[in-house]
Formats: sequence, C-alpha cells, structure tokens
Amino acid sequence: MLYRTAGQFKTSYTADQALFPVRQDAVLLGVILLFAYVIFPLTASEFAYQTLLIPILIYALAAMGLNILTGYAGQLSLGTGAFMGVGAYACYKLITIFPWMNPVVAILLSGVFSAGVGVVFGIPSLRIKGFYLAIATLAAQFFLVWLFEKWAWLYNYNASGAIQVPNLEMFGVYVSGPQAGSTTQYYLVLGIVTLMTLLCINLTRGNLGRTWKATRDMDIAAELIGINLMKSKLIAFAVSSYVVGVAGALYVFMWKGAAEPNVFDIPLSFQVLFIAIIGGLGSILGNYLGAILIVGLPVVLNLVPAAVGLSISSATVEHLNVMIVGGLIIFFLIVEPHGLAQLWRLIREKLIIWPFPH
Amino acid sequence: MKHFTKTAAAAVLGLGLGTAAVAQELYVPNLAYRTGPFAATGIPLMNGQADYFTMLNERDGGIGGVPVNAAECETGYSTEKGVECYEKVKSDALVTQPWSTGITLQVLPKTNVDEIPILAPGYGFSPMADGTVFQWAFNMPAGYWDAASMIVQHMESEGDLDGKKVAFLHLDHPFGKEPLPILEKLAGEKGFELLPIPVGLKEMQNQSAQWLQIRRERPDYVVMWGWGAMNAGAITEAVKTKYPMENFIGVWWAGHDADLRLVGEDGAGYKSISWSFPNADAPVMRDIQELVIDAGLSETNPEEASGVFYSRGVVISAILGEAIRTAQEEYGTAEISAPQLRWGLENINMTEERITELGLDGMVPPFSTSCANHTGHSGGWMLEWDGEKFIKASDLMTANQDDYQDLIAEKAQEYASSNAPWPTNEECSATN
Repeated sequence: MLYRTAGQFKTSYTADQALFPVRQDAVLLGVILLFAYVIFPLTASEFAYQTLLIPILIYALAAMGLNILTGYAGQLSLGTGAFMGVGAYACYKLITIFPWMNPVVAILLSGVFSAGVGVVFGIPSLRIKGFYLAIATLAAQFFLVWLFEKWAWLYNYNASGAIQVPNLEMFGVYVSGPQAGSTTQYYLVLGIVTLMTLLCINLTRGNLGRTWKATRDMDIAAELIGINLMKSKLIAFAVSSYVVGVAGALYVFMWKGAAEPNVFDIPLSFQVLFIAIIGGLGSILGNYLGAILIVGLPVVLNLVPAAVGLSISSATVEHLNVMIVGGLIIFFLIVEPHGLAQLWRLIREKLIIWPFPH
Repeated sequence: MKHFTKTAAAAVLGLGLGTAAVAQELYVPNLAYRTGPFAATGIPLMNGQADYFTMLNERDGGIGGVPVNAAECETGYSTEKGVECYEKVKSDALVTQPWSTGITLQVLPKTNVDEIPILAPGYGFSPMADGTVFQWAFNMPAGYWDAASMIVQHMESEGDLDGKKVAFLHLDHPFGKEPLPILEKLAGEKGFELLPIPVGLKEMQNQSAQWLQIRRERPDYVVMWGWGAMNAGAITEAVKTKYPMENFIGVWWAGHDADLRLVGEDGAGYKSISWSFPNADAPVMRDIQELVIDAGLSETNPEEASGVFYSRGVVISAILGEAIRTAQEEYGTAEISAPQLRWGLENINMTEERITELGLDGMVPPFSTSCANHTGHSGGWMLEWDGEKFIKASDLMTANQDDYQDLIAEKAQEYASSNAPWPTNEECSATN
C-alpha cells in the first residue's frame, strides 16, 4: 500500500534509468536526509555526536570504499585499516607542511595518496585471486603499519610517535582539533560522506560498475567480451583506496583527534570488512546498515542497563555487550547470508506486492 | 504486556534513584580495563583503586563527609571505547583517569576546552610534567624519565658504567620509546653502549628473536620497558636463556607479581623500579582488609591484594583522595568542582608525616606538586623478586632531574606550538 508502484509510468529511457525509479524510494531518502541534515543536529547531544553519528558515518564510508573493491570488483582485501592510515598520515603531512591549506581540500587530497598506494598493492591482483590476494593485501597491512611506526618523518619526529590533530580553521570557524565544535565536525563529515556516496552510487551504476561486476562474476568471461582486466582491477583498487583514504583522514581529523600507528592495525581492517559483509557486499545502503549494527549498537547497548536502573558493573556490561552483538551478527547472517541490504531489498519487495502476494 | 509495565516502572524508579544519588557525591570516574588484552594487570589496579574509595566511604563517610563515587567505565584498553567513556562521564566528572597512553593522547588536547583534570599516574606523556603548559594534566608521583634516571643510577652504584653494554628491551610503541632520549643522553655521558631492542606489539609473547640477540650481544644489563603480556614473555625467555636475573631491571609496570610467579625461584634477583610498594602492615591496608575485603565489598582475592599492582591502585586513589582533600580545605566546600580539584592536584604535599597520617607507611615516597611541576618527581625504590614476592632492594633513590629539565620544557613547548592556540599558565612563577 505504502509502496504501491502501480501508476508510476516511465515514458522515456531516462526516466527508467533514474536513480530512484520508484517514487517512494526518493521520498524515503528525503526523509532520511532531513533527519541527517536537520533533525539530528537539532537534537543530538555531544555524546551522540562523538559516539554515534560521526563514527557511524566514517565507518560507513570506509566500508563503502572496501565494498567497491570486494563487493563490486570481487577483489578480497584485508588492508583497509592500513589504507585508512595512509589517508590519515597523508592528511597530517599536508596540513603540517602547508598550514594554509583548506582542511577539506587536504582531506580530499589525502585520498589521492592512498589511491596511489592502493594501486601499487593492487598489482598482484592481476596474477592472483581470492584468498591468495587477501594474503597479498595482508602484506600491505603489516608493511604500512610498520612504516607508520618506523618512518619518524611521517609523525614529524614527535616524541610520542603519534599524530596529533592541530586546531584548523575554515572561514573563521574551527573545524578540526580540540577547539572544534561537534556540530561543525558532523556537518563536515556528513557533507563529505554524502558527496562520496553520490560518487560511488553513480560509479557503480555506470560503465565502470558494470565492468567491475563482470570482472567479479567471471574474469575469463569478462576478458573474452573485451574488458581490460588490468584496467578494471587497478581502477577498482584506486577508487576503493581513495574512498578508504578519505575515510581514514576523517577518522583522525574529524573524530579521534590523535592516533598511534597501531590504531590502523588489522582489527580496524576486520571491523570495516565485517561492516561490509554484514551490511551486504555489492551494495551501498548496506554499508550504513552494517555500520549502525557494528559501531552504533554496542554504544546503545552499553547505555541500556543504566537507563533501566540495573546496577551491573561496567566490565560485565562490556562482556554482555560483546556476546549480544556477536549473537546478533550470527543471527543476521543465518536469516540473510547476503547481508542487511538484502534483508531490506526483500522487505521492500514484499511491501510493493502487499497485500496480494503471488 | 504486564511484564513490560513492570520493566517500565522499574526504569522510571531507577532513573528517579539515579538522579537522587547524583546530588551529594564526589564523582571520580575511572576508565577501567578489566577486559581485553591487558586485563591481567588492569584487574588488580582497578580493584585497588575501587577498594580504597570504598574503604573511605565505609570508614569516614567519604572525603570531607561527602561519599566518593568511583564508578568505572570499561574501555578494554581500546581508544575508541575510551572516547565513548570520556564523552559519557565528562558532564559530571571531577577527573579523567584514562589508563592508557592512547586515550591520554586523545583526551589531553580537549582538557583546555572541557576543563577536567587528567590524572595519569606514572604513565602517559613525560613532558606532561611541565604544569605551565599542561595545565590540566598530572602524572605524579614520578614519570618515565625519572625512572630511567634512577635505573642508570642503580647500575652505576654497582660499578662504573664506562665501556659496559646495556640492552634496552622495549615495547615498540609510544610508551616503550618514551625513555630513549634520556637513556641515549646518559649513555653518551657515562660511556656505556646502549642497545635498543624493540618488541613489536604482535611479538610480545614470542620474544625468541630478541633474546637470541641478547644472548649473542651479552649485555651487562637488560633494562626493560615492558607492558602486559610482554613482561611475562621476557621473564620466561630470560630464565630460558639463563640470563643473570640480577642484571635484569624493569620499569614499574614490569613489576607484576603474577609475571614473576610463573618462574618462581628462577626469577630471583629480577628487579623493577617502583614508586609504590605493597606494605601489608600499613594501616590503610588493614582498614581495607577489615572494612572492604572481609565485609565482602571487594572483587579482589587475598593473593592479588598482597601484590604490587593492587597496592599501586590503592596509592593512586590515595593521591587522588589527598588532592580532593586539599581542594576542599582551600575552597571551604566539601563538594568541589573540577577546576577546584585541579588546584588540589597542583598543591599536593605528601610529606613523610602526611604519608603516615594517611596510613600509607612505606607505600609511596614523599613528593609534592606545584603549578609548574605536575609530576612530583618522587623518588623510587628498586624492588627485587626474592622468589616469592617483591622486596625493597634499595633505599629511597631520587632521580637526577637536571638531566632532563630542559628536555621537558622543550618538548612541552613543542606540543603547545603544534596545538596552537594552546593557553599556558602565565601566572605560575615556580619552576619545575
């Protein structure tokens, strides 16, 4: 009823190929954007910004980058954390070498560096596939984190070996560093994430996206129909690493404020990979759903005992939390192995034909 | 539905009680790590910290008549959970106890904005000693640079260091690299050869490569800046390679009873510099035993409660308690605010008499802080494992601060300028 598509006629190819051929989808997205741009900023507390809104957006962006590579182009990568690190360190160096640079420009530029590194580590993908490629990207993971520790120039020879975000101004307002307000940072992150999402949706729908999907589904067949595998795979590595690098720069500059090399170690790669898998490989929406489940839910669950008035020790809550989230992950994967995005796709389909299923 | 109504009613009741309880208390949250990879050291520390405040609440009704709420927020030593906890507690907290170098580095820049003091006793960032720059951060009773200086003094007391070789086994992490500038400087002055041997975070438990190197190089001393699983790994390797234990010296985090108990008698002679000592006969420990542990208000067990880390937790809470008391006296109010506590932390004077009054006999060396000196630079004792427990193997030593006074100021200034605008305390005229 709510999702009745009857009567929405398409009279041109353009209309048929539109981003949202079903009107309700566009309305739903409008509502979500309204919440994200207007209602959340009006109601959110500092705590909500710092533990829910900003990290969910950043993790979703990182997962989106990985999803382009793994979900669309079919190249399994375990190096996401390190590529995020490249973005973060590149942004740090850009900001400290060129202090006059606009922070947003620096963040967007830092993705270029991680794209370059991504392409270099993507070269083995031309020869090896699947799990073997995963091992090659694992090498990137170990090598890059080692480099962040050893190459003191990267952190400006800081005694602590960590990078610290300075206070950065944009048009007279602090956007980064301890002086920056959460609302400002949220809008900045939201703006960049919206932009990147738009870019990713359009890339995956276009010629390039189809090339990637063909590569993923069967690379020999793709080659036979004239797809240049080298180009397709390396572009996937570049685009994916770019998005991941931007996410890494946001991660440190708009959220954490400081980072030691081991922050970008393998647990971060796994976390982003889990978001992509649980959200749904080969989907854009899934990254957001996955990030809400993996990043947002534990924070909310931690608040529950106190809100209900139960006095459980903090350590016990943490243990329970890990168990509940773990259980939920298994539950969702059993119910829908293709991820949360597929779950939504099914729900939507059912809504469209409701109340008369075949 | 009935069940739901009950739950909802309980929730409303709970919220009511919750707000009622906030009214009259000193809220000193602790970002604990009882879970995660470092839980083995976290649990005794947290138990010691919590038990001291429970004891104060039971014995004196809190501090200045106001009960202390030392609620914990679990981080599992993860920086992300640390941010979550910090945001959760910061609206009411008097102090932040971050308990990890990573969380400290994240919270440190925010202190000038949020105006909540950080208490990072004996960890964190050595330049924090400069109170004029780091107005809101404290790491008393002593810092890593003090420790490095005292360890070198100890080695020197056993004979001239000229021409000797000292291996520096350290965690390859900001924490492990912290004393390097001091050790390098002293190596140049005293003429010993310093051999830094890093242990990566991933190889903490398997240090065969590092110990092979030690066996080959035959250093006269091994100095260890270890943490968590690295200590047990190093100590068992040292026993295996038959390195003379009396020449093996660790920082205060490497003096954990449980690590040494693994090797028992074989570990006899191992040393660890420390600015806390477990004295079971101290009045404070007896009070805790009687009012907290025997009353069933603690999560600790007897073996743990006699250890170095438990007593360290007690000492840390006692220092915080003393700061609260100092602030209460200065401002004439029992319910102090966070900026008032900062003043208290800045004006601690732990003399021998005061330590006895607090019942901490022999558990912490005397020290005092000022607006310029946020570390206290207390002395320390060289503890030695006798096969069963740690004993004091030296008199109270004091660090030779002249060696790094300039370095503290320089590094602090460097931090301030890279984080501009960074307000410094211009009124403070005392020197570090």
